[in-house]
Amino acid sequence: MIPYLLEALQCLLTLSLAPGLIGLVRLLKARLQGRRGPPAWQPYRDLAKLLDKERVVSTQASWIFHATPHLVFASTLVVSLLVPLVAAPLPFDRAGDLIVVVYLLLLGTFFLALAGLDTASPFGGMGASREMTIAALAEPTIALAIFGMGAGAGSTNLGEIVARTLAHPEATLSPGHLMAFAALFIVMLAECGRLPVDNPATHLELTMIHEAMILEYSGPSLALLEWAAHMKFFLFLSLLSNLVCPWGVAVELSPRSLALAVLALAGKLVVLAVAVTVLETRLAKLRLFRVPELLGVSFILALLAITSSFLVR
Amino acid sequence: MAPALFSRLVTLASSLVLLSGLAVLWRHSLAAYIRTFARQSFLIVLAILLIAAQERDVRLCVVAALVLVLKVVLIPRVLHRVQRHVAADFEIHPYVNTPLSLVITGILTLLSYAVAAPVVSLADLPTRGGIPLALATVFVGLFIIISRRSALSQIIGFLILENGIALLAVLATFGVPLIVELGVFLDVLLGVLVMQVFVYRIRETFDTIDVDRMKDLRH
Repeated sequence: MIPYLLEALQCLLTLSLAPGLIGLVRLLKARLQGRRGPPAWQPYRDLAKLLDKERVVSTQASWIFHATPHLVFASTLVVSLLVPLVAAPLPFDRAGDLIVVVYLLLLGTFFLALAGLDTASPFGGMGASREMTIAALAEPTIALAIFGMGAGAGSTNLGEIVARTLAHPEATLSPGHLMAFAALFIVMLAECGRLPVDNPATHLELTMIHEAMILEYSGPSLALLEWAAHMKFFLFLSLLSNLVCPWGVAVELSPRSLALAVLALAGKLVVLAVAVTVLETRLAKLRLFRVPELLGVSFILALLAITSSFLVR
Repeated sequence: MAPALFSRLVTLASSLVLLSGLAVLWRHSLAAYIRTFARQSFLIVLAILLIAAQERDVRLCVVAALVLVLKVVLIPRVLHRVQRHVAADFEIHPYVNTPLSLVITGILTLLSYAVAAPVVSLADLPTRGGIPLALATVFVGLFIIISRRSALSQIIGFLILENGIALLAVLATFGVPLIVELGVFLDVLLGVLVMQVFVYRIRETFDTIDVDRMKDLRH
């Protein structure tokens, strides 16, 4: 029974902390740029406001348009059951490994692109085509990076990877591990629509990708999509931090170790959020035609990670 | 230092050397190429110091100091001066575009693993994990030389190639005799100075340092 309560806890943590993480990134970014910026809890207010508003749907919209927000939200929430946020061997570990996690997140992307096309608004179609271009380039890289991570630990099972890393701490220094981390980090930037691939703060038609696809949504549907995007970012960051530096993740179930695990997770997320913020402040957005180059770098990193994991023992 | 940790750190340093070689393929600015080369040389200094600390070898510390002075400070300074003097800022159209270059270097790395496999499996050195990576750095240097147009990028390619050889030497032998190292350093320094003169001459004659233009007849 208790392990399943743990899964519920992970779900709640993801739902409650994800908007705060985005708010923190926005606040830090504003401060770095010399603006005052909204407080870190602004995303919660935005979500509450959107959930309270009326939903306006085009008469041309099909069921895909109606189903997508729920689908994206649900698939992201399922991922929060599989990623080791606070405890390592989760009861649902047998249900899905790293491959399932990544493809669940890509399922959301796929439906979002379909929904962007659905209402036949020109911006939606443009956003969908751009998103698919990036996803098509990111997907092989993600697969390779996963195998890079898995090759080091001998398994793609998330609990197994964390346990293996905890047992062999010196393995975190191996080039395979670090390059797989770097590859996943670049892919995370592309998948979560962060700079330098997509600018999350803009509504300029020339540059937007994610925003273009959700332009037709309003009210509670928009709230669900925004919330799902926040959760995706949260989950990618916690996946990265707990795969590379799993210390603090609870291996036995006691209130003390769980509390410690939540604190450790918060600490790691803050560190990664600061890293993302500094990176985004320093970088300009890449031209769309240079995005393949960036993902090419990530692809090569993943390839090298695999080679060095397999060939250097 | 524990042998396992030592060999991991050496492999890590070697892979960072290789990655900084790859960074040249991804950037476009010549000033960034030169900075990347300085960074790569600094990583080699760190690798040499690691081995020196493990072997308690003072001679290797001298070599590290020489690399630091020559490749981290002196040569980058010369190159920055050349770059400012010929006013060339970017490698605009390399013969091979960036994504393809990256894929090719991936293949080259796999190739160097394949070539070095017998050596690695025979050697019982703690540093053997880095040998294929150093070899791959040599290949990447060669690839930069043949795939870039600007004379300055080709010099950087040559220096990266040289860095790969230096890393390979120190990984495989734990330091060749000092007199050999000194000879190599002098060679590199003279090579860079001669190439500097060449770049100036090319620039004077052709008004560009794009070596592709040298095929054209003069007008």
